[in-house]
Amino acid sequence: MKLWVYVLRRLILLVPTLIGLTLLVFALEHAGGPSVFLALYINPHLTGSARQQLVDQLTARFHLNDPIYVQYFYWLGAILQGDWGTSAQNGQAVTTNFVWFMPNTIMLTVVASLLTWVISIPIGVYSATRRDSVLDQGVRVATFTLYSMPIFLIGFALFLTFGTSWHLLPAQGNIDDNLLPTLSSKSWFDSNAVSYPTHIYLIDALLHGDVPIAWNAFLHVILPPVALTLALLAGIIRILRVSMLEVLDQDYIRLARAKGVPERTVNNFHAKKNALLPTVTTFGYLVSGLFGGAVVIEEIFGFKGIGWWTTMAFLNSDIAVVMGSTLVFGIVLVLTTLILDILYGFLDPRIRYE
Amino acid sequence: METIKEEKGRFDEWKLSARVFFANRTAVAGLVIFLLFVGDAIIVEVAPGLVGVQYPDSVVPPLFSITHPECVNQAPEPPSFDHPFGTTEYGVPGEGCLDVLQLVMKAIRIDLAISLFVVLVGAAVGTVIGVVSAYIGRLLDEAMMRITDVFFSVPFLILALALSFVLGRTVLNMAWALIIIWWPLYARYGRSLTLSTKEATYIEAAKAAGSGRLKIMFKHIFPNVVPPVLVQISLDVGTVVGIFATLAFIGVIPNALVPELGALANIGLNLAPLGYWWTVIVPGGTITLFSLAVNLMGDGLRDVIDPRRRS
Repeated sequence: MKLWVYVLRRLILLVPTLIGLTLLVFALEHAGGPSVFLALYINPHLTGSARQQLVDQLTARFHLNDPIYVQYFYWLGAILQGDWGTSAQNGQAVTTNFVWFMPNTIMLTVVASLLTWVISIPIGVYSATRRDSVLDQGVRVATFTLYSMPIFLIGFALFLTFGTSWHLLPAQGNIDDNLLPTLSSKSWFDSNAVSYPTHIYLIDALLHGDVPIAWNAFLHVILPPVALTLALLAGIIRILRVSMLEVLDQDYIRLARAKGVPERTVNNFHAKKNALLPTVTTFGYLVSGLFGGAVVIEEIFGFKGIGWWTTMAFLNSDIAVVMGSTLVFGIVLVLTTLILDILYGFLDPRIRYE
Repeated sequence: METIKEEKGRFDEWKLSARVFFANRTAVAGLVIFLLFVGDAIIVEVAPGLVGVQYPDSVVPPLFSITHPECVNQAPEPPSFDHPFGTTEYGVPGEGCLDVLQLVMKAIRIDLAISLFVVLVGAAVGTVIGVVSAYIGRLLDEAMMRITDVFFSVPFLILALALSFVLGRTVLNMAWALIIIWWPLYARYGRSLTLSTKEATYIEAAKAAGSGRLKIMFKHIFPNVVPPVLVQISLDVGTVVGIFATLAFIGVIPNALVPELGALANIGLNLAPLGYWWTVIVPGGTITLFSLAVNLMGDGLRDVIDPRRRS
């Protein structure tokens, strides 16, 4: 199979997944029928004519009197036109909120995944090449324990030690609270405490040459990515180690050793690249864990990204945001997986013939 | 004569499995810890008074915090001889604050039940779907793959949040939400295991001998699928406990009145930063210990079904 056939095949497979994703999110809201749907949107304390007015309004907006499959197409049409509803928390359009909060989550997940790879590759490879040594045993015990820890404990332990006990690093929010008043006077800030153009305080402050604020924002973005990295690290190291052990057992490695290639070259040149390949398939798992983990980590550190925003929406019964972010995270995950699959097909021709 | 021989053969298989498992010390340690957790759950369920656990179904005694407001928000006490893991918010008049050890002992029962329920139901449903769709193949298999793709396309913690938002924020609904997330994993796993046994010669022989589809699937393929699925179950129990507790910790269960380890940690959310670290670390550590135990056990079980270790 040529590479472009493989890419085309993956793109065609994308269509049913995306349609299925919209069906899933639509079903989450609508599967219980109109009464359940209305109960999700209307505050239970609202009564009388005000309630009736809202019911009529929502019925008209979502075409609740039409058959369910017609409702789906109305819903899909609105989504495609960018009408994702309004957040009950800040009265802004859901899409606007995503534009505000997404950059922080992207930064968090990108930094965490880079850190995860930079740390896990040498540890996994080193531990496999010195199988059953003291160091290997130590790595195994450490990763096993870390792997067993629930993600909230990892995040909260970092929050407690570095943040509230030793006061080494700020552990709440994206910037110190006492800096907010001074920020509101800056031209690159608006009244919603959103910075421009990237919506990431650190980068925007640097772009505008405001070093003290950039430094403060930088201190706030140390702990969350480290916590997320720790949460993912153990699983990746374990996969890498096993993969490396399998490769080291292959005949061509034995041949390389037999013909006198130095051990160092065997490990770094012959084995490492092939050991890394299968781990690319676990990327999907990594990305899913990355986004899921971001929700918890952002919540613990009050780090204002999509995950934090979704949790807030969940706790404040803001259904438009909860459903919107389910769809957004779904789309992002599907596209990321697609890119990784294509990359994998490019790196390893064998995969294209499966 | 023939059947007796077969019975003996099977018995030896079990003995060999046990020998492989018990030769692995860490796996045995995992089993012992797991059994301690099970024992705790059974005692609290059957005779809570025996170990001094009161009101097993709630953190705070029923109606207590309303009738005795002066006991709410007492400062937690650090670990001591009387309270090995310290105390947490909420107090009982004349008895001081609530003991964290006692709360954890109550909570283990619910976490154990939830995780086993989620994984067993998810595995049963998923594996059957996976085996059937892989064996029938064609359109059914393609449809199953696309449906599971959809479930994998949303990060599972986000899907869990959305599902429990719609289903309602109770412990049982959260368990159903996790089952909805978990079955596709087993459907895929059961599918791949079936695909690798489907073409075996003995299946062909069974077909030639006139066995029907159902008989081949459940009598000939299933026994080959169950052992690896059991290993996966024991590994997943730990993961499910962690995810469930994490959801409870970020506040998915609306009040902390249900004694569940994540919900207990949630009580300490605002206490721990003030220096009362044990209110979060002890419940979290208990989850880690449980997860560690079932993971060690799962590793041991994996050795048991590994033909290389059996020889």
